[in-house]
Amino acid sequence: MSLPETNYHIGHRMLRREDDALLRGNGCFVDDLPEPLGTLHLGFVMSPHPHALIKSIDASEALKLPGVIAVYSGEDMARWIKPIHTEIHFPGYLAADRDVLARHKVRFVGEQVAVILAEDRYVVEDAVDLVQVEYEILPSVVDVEEAKQPGAPLVHDHIPNNVIFNGEFATPDFSRDHAIGGNMLRERFRTGRVAGVPMEPRGCLAMPEKSDAIVFYTSTQIQHLVRDGLAHHLGKPETAIRVVVPDVGGGFGTKAQLYPEELVAAALCFKLRRPIKWIQDRREELLTNIHARDHIYDVEIWFSSEGVVTGLRLLLHTNAGAYSTYPFGCTLETTGGARMIVGPYKIRNYAYTSFSVASHTCPAGVYRGVAQPSCMMAIEGMMDRIARKLDIDPAEVRRRNVILPTDMPWVSAVGVRYDTGSYLECLEKALLESDYVAFREAQPMSRLDGSRYRGIGICNMTEFTGMGALAWRARGLARMSGIDSATLRIEPGGTISVSISHAAAGQGHMTTFAQIAADYLGADIRDIRIIEGDTASSPYGTNTFASRSAVTGGGAVIRSAVKVADKLRRIASKMLEASPKDIVLRSGRAEVTGVPQLSVTFKQIAEVAYSLCDTPLPDGEDYGLEASEYYDPPVVTIANAVHIVEVSVDAQDGRVTIEKHIVVHDCGRIINPMIVDGQIHGGAAQGIGEALMEEMVYDNGGQMLNTSLLDYLLPTAMDVPAFKLFHIETPTIDGLGGFKGVGEGGLIGAVPAVVNAVADALSAIGANVNAIPLRPSYLRSLMRSASATRG
Amino acid sequence: MSEKTSIRLRVNGTFYERSADPRTLLVDFLRHSIGLKGAHVGCAHGVCGACTVQIDSRAARSCLHFAIDLQGSDIKTVEGLANGDELHPIQQSFHENHALQCGYCTPGFLMTIEEFLRHNPNPTEEEIRESLADNICRCTGYANIVEAVMDAAKKLRGEVILEGGKDVSP
Amino acid sequence: MKPAKFEFHAARSPEEAVTLLDRYDGDARILAGGQSLVPLMNFRVLQPRALVSINHCPELNYIRQEDNYITVGALCRQIDAEQSSLVQSRCPLLAAALPWVGGVANRNRGTVCGSLAHADPLAEIPAVAMALDAQLNIRGARGLRTIPVGKFFVSDLTTAIEPGEMLESVKFPTASPNSGAAFVEVGNRAHGFAVVGVAAYLEVDNEGKCTLARLAAIGVGSTPVRLRIAEAVVERANNIDCALNDVANCSGDRLEPAGGFHADAEYKKEVVGVLVVRAIKKAYASYKIRSGH
Repeated sequence: MSLPETNYHIGHRMLRREDDALLRGNGCFVDDLPEPLGTLHLGFVMSPHPHALIKSIDASEALKLPGVIAVYSGEDMARWIKPIHTEIHFPGYLAADRDVLARHKVRFVGEQVAVILAEDRYVVEDAVDLVQVEYEILPSVVDVEEAKQPGAPLVHDHIPNNVIFNGEFATPDFSRDHAIGGNMLRERFRTGRVAGVPMEPRGCLAMPEKSDAIVFYTSTQIQHLVRDGLAHHLGKPETAIRVVVPDVGGGFGTKAQLYPEELVAAALCFKLRRPIKWIQDRREELLTNIHARDHIYDVEIWFSSEGVVTGLRLLLHTNAGAYSTYPFGCTLETTGGARMIVGPYKIRNYAYTSFSVASHTCPAGVYRGVAQPSCMMAIEGMMDRIARKLDIDPAEVRRRNVILPTDMPWVSAVGVRYDTGSYLECLEKALLESDYVAFREAQPMSRLDGSRYRGIGICNMTEFTGMGALAWRARGLARMSGIDSATLRIEPGGTISVSISHAAAGQGHMTTFAQIAADYLGADIRDIRIIEGDTASSPYGTNTFASRSAVTGGGAVIRSAVKVADKLRRIASKMLEASPKDIVLRSGRAEVTGVPQLSVTFKQIAEVAYSLCDTPLPDGEDYGLEASEYYDPPVVTIANAVHIVEVSVDAQDGRVTIEKHIVVHDCGRIINPMIVDGQIHGGAAQGIGEALMEEMVYDNGGQMLNTSLLDYLLPTAMDVPAFKLFHIETPTIDGLGGFKGVGEGGLIGAVPAVVNAVADALSAIGANVNAIPLRPSYLRSLMRSASATRG
Repeated sequence: MSEKTSIRLRVNGTFYERSADPRTLLVDFLRHSIGLKGAHVGCAHGVCGACTVQIDSRAARSCLHFAIDLQGSDIKTVEGLANGDELHPIQQSFHENHALQCGYCTPGFLMTIEEFLRHNPNPTEEEIRESLADNICRCTGYANIVEAVMDAAKKLRGEVILEGGKDVSP
Repeated sequence: MKPAKFEFHAARSPEEAVTLLDRYDGDARILAGGQSLVPLMNFRVLQPRALVSINHCPELNYIRQEDNYITVGALCRQIDAEQSSLVQSRCPLLAAALPWVGGVANRNRGTVCGSLAHADPLAEIPAVAMALDAQLNIRGARGLRTIPVGKFFVSDLTTAIEPGEMLESVKFPTASPNSGAAFVEVGNRAHGFAVVGVAAYLEVDNEGKCTLARLAAIGVGSTPVRLRIAEAVVERANNIDCALNDVANCSGDRLEPAGGFHADAEYKKEVVGVLVVRAIKKAYASYKIRSGH
């Protein structure tokens, strides 16, 4: 781990620079960007059917409306835009490309079949209503198990049984050793379909630029990947496309895909050389932005009479929806769930079979957590079941199975290296802070209260963060680079710009990356400006998702800062007639160690570096004061946390109250504890929503029933408790800076903890809780069945 | 059918006269006819609260009103909260308590909270959570927003000393 | 989600409002708070040819006591009714139900009459009207007519208001000094729309016996439903404890709620019973406070 020049910033609670503009309502989200005269607005005609042939499209009435400029169909778009293709290298993976606008067939409700261009946002909707599309309805399937059955309607003709991809794995000695423990339990866990639902729907504004180029503003997390995708599918050089990310109102992975509308808007801008704008509405957002977590985990676990796990087998089904999404394809949830289910435990004998199954539903993608909330729910659910079976406390079962620091670095059954971690330490601290022992002691008495069922649930989770190139290859993503970059430049006036290949959607990068740069450069943080989300300002990168920015962006910033720091010292040493190793950089000055009056400012050094004064550069030194560095992080950096949740369930109406929610989190070296807490709060709230109330529901006819926020329930301030957070810092030894990612951890830990708490509460009446969301009516039905069984 | 018509609205104490269709929602009139972009469209059905402004000093969903019907009313948006450079105590508390992340829902929360604290200057945590339950935030998990409201209430009750909007209490 | 085009009129009086409505052969809507109407227009589920705003008819913005009724005018905002001391003292069931209606931002603009005219099956104010046998004053081109609530709610989003008519006011009978009221509701999150709700109004004599019980439920039909069997059970019981015990155990009104993904029919049926008990308890407690017992 490189050492910084100072430690005034990293680890400190610094207030955010982003706030002032946002608080005043002066943010600049994509719909806030100035609209030049002549901007055309896009509206999309969406399919009302889950599976149908398109027989005809009649836009004649729409075209008559004043202000409507043009209507294009899938056939039109196909002349300018290649079908969306995601490069996945996995044996047996069956690719299915997606026409940007459906051509012959629609495959999910909401799939776009035509695009309208009009002068006004209201008029474009009038026009959408007037387009007549004739469909021939075909049979459809939405359920992941039904879709795999022989005879189920095929989503893509060339994908038999709708199985896009099937993975198989077993550790070498699995068959011999897995059942050694002598006890076995099996369970089926079902996680409901959910989605990110950021407060800001998507949108883009494509602007013609000099010559034949465009500037493409889009509410995205992945500016370089969008540029790649636009260039490839439009057949344009990357150099003709600049992607700029405005303020983004929440990403959560929802905005880490390239979507058809972006391709359409960019293509039309190239074609028509006019600004083209598209803003999504909430109905479209719910229908067409990636869904996730429609999964089934069939788990078998073998264990000794002491509760030590000897074997684990998983059969995993994930619903991929109608199309492969760019750039992650249909594999990420499937490989993720299968690879991460071993969690923080010493499970050496592991086997899995996994299926990614297509259905006539919205395509699935990378919503925060990406299978980890679900697979942790499965493994943590099994830990509790082992405990109940053997009448051992669930915390104790975990103690007996976690990987200890003395075991590390550990290589998991699927070959993932866990370099450092605090799985036991976090557990013990969480148990202490949640008064776990007192709760368990009081539980027999509290179980006598027939009006409320009380329970406590633990989730001890590990999280994959900051994945590098090799990790993406292992998941089949052949064209996912894994690197990120930073260009750090001290300008002639002494101010410092750091251009990073990331894009924030609320994570506070303007502040946290400045903290890293300031410490590694020895700069005055007020002189530093972070520039992000612009393909013109930073070199290539993999951009922002999967809890990677602290790791990969941090690493790249450190590399570039260290290089510039070295150059500052070399030039300063000449100016101060001292040896470079006697120069210390602090608060924007280079000083001779022990002789602070012998110093020069960074600005003075810059003047030398840019030949703006009489002092020459040292011999052999080049002009300029910048460094541009790439960073390929370690394959994966494992962060960890323990969530302990205490709930009470109303026996009469089935409603769950979260009484306590404690988190002990380890994301390695913390850059800004305030930001880390915020990420955990937000993730945990989403986890509570996922466990208790969120679900995207398709009926048997393939209709998506949640077309508004009245039907897709997001948690409010009355649904989430006052979280109590604690931190342990176990820096990674593999990565620069010691940072581990934290973006998804709150969500990953919350879902299993809430579910286990409710399961613990209802175990008193013999009810088995294995499916989410835990709506009141579902819990009451479990209670009714349990009491019927008890007679 | 209907054509553009002249609509005159009083927003943050200033009269704005613009030409717009009768069906123009207040949120769109503010954002695109006047250029006040603080109110955001989150759902267009009154559920998420990102569009919340104040009409005659009362919190209201600007996505559920037509600008043409509000002539004669007094509208206040987030742009009217700060006093020039000096942030309103609620804004300052949001900053100090990290009560915003992406900032999209924030103006709606601020306008809701401003009304709430006017009517309930000394709220309990439970009352605060209840008052916030009609504004959705997907980023913060509400924890810091609740803290910020507690903090802002203190500032507004004069229990902290402010200088230039910043807490300089000893 | 932008609304379709419409013609806009700002009426200055209720007479002008119905005259304007009449021009459009049923294809015009009254715009008051808009909290129920405008979402449907933004979704384009409703596309009226015209909107007639009554937001500039201050004469419609009132709460008055007239004889034994509290009359609420069409422009009275829900928040004003909630905060009105007249409503709190003379129509406590309405005061109890209003905090459950949407959020403050909705209640600041939404109207009591607007909620009634919209007749959303999950709305709280219609349950209050049902429980109290409210009277609805409807104005048309030919003047005012009054109908009882039993004839007012026809179905999901459908009332007895004819094209060209508007709901001008609603009359709630004033509550007896020896009465209590409560509204309870459950949903799938702590705050949001109801899955099931119950409005309860009780009149109690000096011996603690409920001489009158009115119970209306939402979420179990396309309109609010009076729970007449439960009411009779409560009125038959000798005291409140017997009432609670009897009503918890009775087979209850025959309800056939529709199930959906939010909640199944079985759940709605059983939770109505649970909420009836809770509502009666709460209403009785409110009686004790109101009557000074």
